[in-house]
Formats: sequence, structure tokens, C-alpha cells
Amino acid sequence: MMLKPYFAFAKKSFLKRSAYRFNHLMSIFNTCLQIFIFWGIYKALYGDRTEVDGITMSMVTTNFILSMGLSAVFYVDDYFLPSKIWDGSIANELLRPVSFKGKMIAENLGNAAFNFVFQFVPALLICVWTIGMKPPASPQMFVLFLVSAILGYGVLWSISFAVQMTAFWLVNIWSLTTIKTVFINVLSGSMIPLWFMPEWMRGVLQFTPFSSIYFTPVQIYLGQLSLQEICFQYLVQILWIIVIYFVGNLLWIKGQKKLVVQGG
Amino acid sequence: MENLIEVKNVSKTFKVNKRANGIPGMVANLLVPKFEQKQAVKDISFSIKEGEMVGFVGPNGAGKSTTIKMLSGILYPDSGEIKVNGYVPYKQRKDYVGSIGVVFGQKSQLQWDLPVIDSFELLKAIYRVPEKVYQRNLERFTDMLNMGGFINQPVRQLSLGQRMRADIAAALLHSPRIVFFDEPTIGVDVVGKEKIREFIRELNRKDKVTMLFTTHDMQDIEKTCNRLIIIDKGSKVYDGTLFGIREKYGTTRQLDVEFKDNCEIEPIKNVEIKQIDELDGRKKRFIFENKDVQINELMNELLAKYNVRDLNISEPEIESIIRKIYSGKDVVL
Repeated sequence: MMLKPYFAFAKKSFLKRSAYRFNHLMSIFNTCLQIFIFWGIYKALYGDRTEVDGITMSMVTTNFILSMGLSAVFYVDDYFLPSKIWDGSIANELLRPVSFKGKMIAENLGNAAFNFVFQFVPALLICVWTIGMKPPASPQMFVLFLVSAILGYGVLWSISFAVQMTAFWLVNIWSLTTIKTVFINVLSGSMIPLWFMPEWMRGVLQFTPFSSIYFTPVQIYLGQLSLQEICFQYLVQILWIIVIYFVGNLLWIKGQKKLVVQGG
Repeated sequence: MENLIEVKNVSKTFKVNKRANGIPGMVANLLVPKFEQKQAVKDISFSIKEGEMVGFVGPNGAGKSTTIKMLSGILYPDSGEIKVNGYVPYKQRKDYVGSIGVVFGQKSQLQWDLPVIDSFELLKAIYRVPEKVYQRNLERFTDMLNMGGFINQPVRQLSLGQRMRADIAAALLHSPRIVFFDEPTIGVDVVGKEKIREFIRELNRKDKVTMLFTTHDMQDIEKTCNRLIIIDKGSKVYDGTLFGIREKYGTTRQLDVEFKDNCEIEPIKNVEIKQIDELDGRKKRFIFENKDVQINELMNELLAKYNVRDLNISEPEIESIIRKIYSGKDVVL
């Protein structure tokens, strides 16, 4: 069983998350709070109107619940490698007869699974009960939405992977990670639904990986894309995953030769 | 017997950012960073046979840990060849590391938030240890290292000594043929150290595990290893038996004599004393070269001429010999 160790990693990070119960409860609260805040802002902006540029308030609400909910599930530890380089524990990691990247994926997925069950689902229920959201356009669209959400996670993961690999040279990459997070928050549609972006901006964003993280799944959920467009968007997502992962992997191979274990 | 570990002309250099003190130094460093090449390991060669237990000592910054990290496949050497158990560690890392165990005294490999036993279970999965072997090892290690009392506690609540024992057990659960210990007794009290040494000895004797062992505590070496490699400033300065080092470097002896009354010591015929120190009271310390002085002549002379209350001969301890090698000075006890 080649995958056994990776299941163990995933299980371990799942269990680890339940070690601090208060923190876990607060993060459900945190997810809801974020959604409520953005919902409140847009509610105020909409005022008495039911739609702006053809976008209804309930579409906006759905966008926030889905994209912020997904971002709670889409767990990527941006400091997985950097923290290990920074404190020298990378040495222990490299002693294991397993793939480091495989371990990274497994631990992230373990966390994502925890987040899905204990954070996304409760937060979703709370939000649906309080502010309500649109149902999926059709059962078929819902399935297609799930696929594209998983691909979206792939894009997000590979961006983080590539950024993390720079830690071999830079050690402290807090600033890079922060810039990355800001880009994702603003340009992926999770804070500002991309419908409201100016036309030229949406044109530019087409050529970046950000919109395929959250916005593509949301559009599919709402039934805004035709089957043909969905297939095209899938391709775009897959292409981004391949390209960004390739760059990250190059850094990973080079970086290992550069590695300096901190702290003796 | 075959050489299990083969190290040939290995060197490793790190690039270190060098900056001046304080704010001006920081600003200068931001604008024009200066780097310096620091040679951690310089052309080191040695080989270790199966079943050997080798002590690897040297002052801080001598390159011990760097060597261990290259041996365990974590760091790439700049030049030279390393072969362990038929593998080139840094090239075949994933396949290779299953056959070795490494303990970094300063870096725990246990999960901070989880009970010790959970970390063990995880390692069992990672190394694909068969259930039977795992149970046998676990039972044996728990017993030998006295871990029964804390095996179900989260690691963050353990004392340093407990954590170290758990760490050692963790590195050995998959029954590796070769184990590298990097300061396994650091910060552990006397009783704990003794337990660890006993454990290591038994493992070597019964299971024929090959070991390389770095430490700053010479007692660790004296009580466990029969061979010693000393490195300093990245180069090997000694490689041989523990006994051999006494022969080679520990050539001075000392004789402490307590006299009944104050007296001046006159030069003794045919006996060349290097140094006489006044100790407190009426004690004097004679320091001399082993080869120059017949100890019985000296004692006879002293006993015949002076009123002697007490005599005490001692040989230098390994610790002070090592100190001498580090500092390049003569050994004074």
C-alpha cells in the first residue's frame, strides 16, 4: 500500500485540528462573520434595489457564501515549507522515506476535510438559515460545480506551493505570502464579485489564475456558463495547475541543493 | 567485514550573510549585502564497518552536524563521495532513509500536540513497519527507556529527558541498521543519560546496529564507543581507538603530594619534572611526561627525603585530552 503513509499524514492533521476546541469553534464564527460583513456591505450598497447591472442581491449573497465558505475549506498552509526551513525541522522531514510534496498535499487535505465537516457545513447552515442563498441552477450544474471547485483548490494549492519554494533562498517569505493572499482575496472574486469589476479588468483577469479559484465554481453553480464554457474553464484550471506546479517543482529541485539547515 | 559507511574527500561550504552591528550595519546590508563563504566541512574521509560504534566529537561549529546531515541525505555535499549501505544518500534519499535512523537531540521529530504513542503510530505508517515488529520494538523500548509513564501524554507536556527518550525510541521503531545520533544526551540529567547510554550499548551489542554518535559529553563516548573520530574546523584530526588517544596525546601525568610540613622541593636527580604547582595547604602537584619519569623513582625519592602524608597519581581524562586537541595546547589537568 503506497498511499498508507499519506493517509496517516492526513489523519494526523485532521486529529491535530481537534486538539484546540475553542480555536475550532471560533473559526466557525470567523467564517460566518466574514460572510455577514460582506453581505452587510453589499446589502447597504444595494439599498432598495433588487438588482444592479443584472446582478441580484441573492446572487451576491450566494457568491459570498460559496466563495468564503470554499476558502474556509480550501486549506493551504502557506508556511508548510517556510516554517520548516526557518526552524530547521526540514531536517526531520527529509529523513522520512516519503515524498515531501506528497506529505504536504496529504496534510493540507486532512485539514481541508476537517474544515469541510466542522467549519464549512456549520457555517453554511448558519448562513442559509440567516441570510439565505440560491439553490444550484440544476443538480447537473451542482456536480459540475463540485468538479470545478476541486480544480479551483488545485490552482490555489499550486500557487501556494510555488511561493513557498522561494523559502529555500529567502527563508522568511511572510511578505510574499501576504501579497499572494491579497491578490487572491481581491482578484478571485471572494471579496468583490468579479461581475462588478470594470470590463477591462475582467479582460486582464482572464489571463491570471485567480478567477479560476472561486469565481469559476460560483458561476457554474449559478448556471451562468454553458456546457461548452464550462469545459473551456476546466481546461483553463487544469492548465494553470500544470504550469504553476511545474515552476514550483523546478524551484523545489534547485532549492534542495541550496538548503541550509538552521539552528545547527 | 564490509564498510557500511564510506566517506571520501567530502567538503561543504555555506554562504553566510555578513553584516555589521546595529542600524548602520542593517542599512548597509540592505543596500549592499555582503556574503562570505564558510567552509563547514573540509575534505573529510573515513569509513565505518558494520556493527561499529563510533564517537564523533569536535568543538561547536566543527562540522559534526553538517557531516551527519550529509550522511543522512539531508544536505548535498559540494564535492566528494558518500556511500552508506550501498546508497548515495542525497541522490537516493527516499529509498535510502528507510534503512537509517537519526536522532537530532535539538530537533524533536515528535508531534508537539499529540500523545507520544500517536507519533509512534504515525512513524509506523510512514516506515511501513509490520505490526509484529512494531509491537515488539515498542514493548522493548518502552521497557528499556522507561517510557510507560508518559507514553500517552502530549509531547508538549514532557520534560526534556522524557522527550529525548521518546525521540530515541521514535528513531528506532523501524529497526534501522544504521543510526546517527546527533547529541542524544543534550540537556538530560545524569540518570537519564545513563539510561540512554545503556540503551545505545545494548542496541549495538544485541542488534549489531552500526552507530555514529556526536556529543559534547566525553562520558557518553567513554561509556559507549570504542572508536573515536575527532574533527576540528571542518577537518579530521584524529581517527582511532579511545585507548590510542591516551597514548598519542595523554602523555603527561600528575602526582599530588600532601606533605606533613612546609618544605621546599629540591631538584631530584635523574627525574625531570615539567612543572610543580603549589596547591592549598601543604599540597604540591608534580606534572611530568610519562616517558621521562619512572614513577617509582620519583615516589621513592619523595618518600625518602620528605615527610609525606598522602599521595595521589592521576592520568588525564579523555575530556582534557580532547580539550588539548581542540585548543592545540599541552594538556594540563
